[in-house]
Amino acid sequence: MFKKVMLAAIVCLSAAAVAADVEVVGTVASKCVVTTDTSGVYGNPSPSVLSTAAVDAGVEPIVRFDVIQAGFYKAKISSPNTFSESPVLNDVVNWTGDVSVGEVTDASMSAYDTSKIVYDNITEVDLTVAGSTWFKVSSQAAYGYDKALPAGTYRAVISAECIAK
Amino acid sequence: MPYIMLLMVLFGGHASAHQFTPTYPELESSYVSGVLKTTMDLFNSRKDVSYYEIGVFDGEWNGVPFATESRIVKIDYLRRKKIDIFIRESDRAKAVYICSKSKLLARGSAVTSISSRICSKIK
Repeated sequence: MFKKVMLAAIVCLSAAAVAADVEVVGTVASKCVVTTDTSGVYGNPSPSVLSTAAVDAGVEPIVRFDVIQAGFYKAKISSPNTFSESPVLNDVVNWTGDVSVGEVTDASMSAYDTSKIVYDNITEVDLTVAGSTWFKVSSQAAYGYDKALPAGTYRAVISAECIAK
Repeated sequence: MPYIMLLMVLFGGHASAHQFTPTYPELESSYVSGVLKTTMDLFNSRKDVSYYEIGVFDGEWNGVPFATESRIVKIDYLRRKKIDIFIRESDRAKAVYICSKSKLLARGSAVTSISSRICSKIK
């Protein structure tokens, strides 16, 4: 009799253990995630120019902004206007750059290209649509007046900021 | 959409991200009188970055005095860290943004690097 009671108790307890729920908790809140998708590479199409353009054998850097809820953030992307690492340069470097919308997860994000605000080397975009936007940053550095760039390593930094409004 | 998904699959392995929440932190009383506190959550999924700099700014992007365990935070890849930020009650009206910025190491490679900064706005 005692054995039967024990057996029944074990069966009941093990059934209770099997039925136990494991909770997974998640919260959806406004959030911005900045993702470095592709680090750029400068091509050297002519002695005086470094360029990230594909036609110049460069690679355009790509940065992705993910916003969970629309209208909470603005993106601020700066194309380089100085080298973070380079050989000694005795002449001026003329910088040009552009930020454009690449891929989007929502078709209406294409409007970012027309609504963006550009000043100096900075592009500001109001992230009014929830989802992911890939921004391509092009950069070109021309040294002096057709002056050959000294041999060495050149490195520049792109700044991608996501600022709560 | 399938094209986007394909891109995400192709580049997903290379992508690395920086996340700083909440978007609108609230300052609360701390255990020190005259000092307010908020806690931020930093998540690092940038393989190329191990250090982030924390900063507090006013509406004109001028620095606002604050205290934290360390202004330069070491955070390993795929790790999350809670960061307590302490601001004087007298600076409450000035402080607008709390930001985290990735710190890049000089590596000597001929590439463009991407520095990421996320700023939350104090409620």
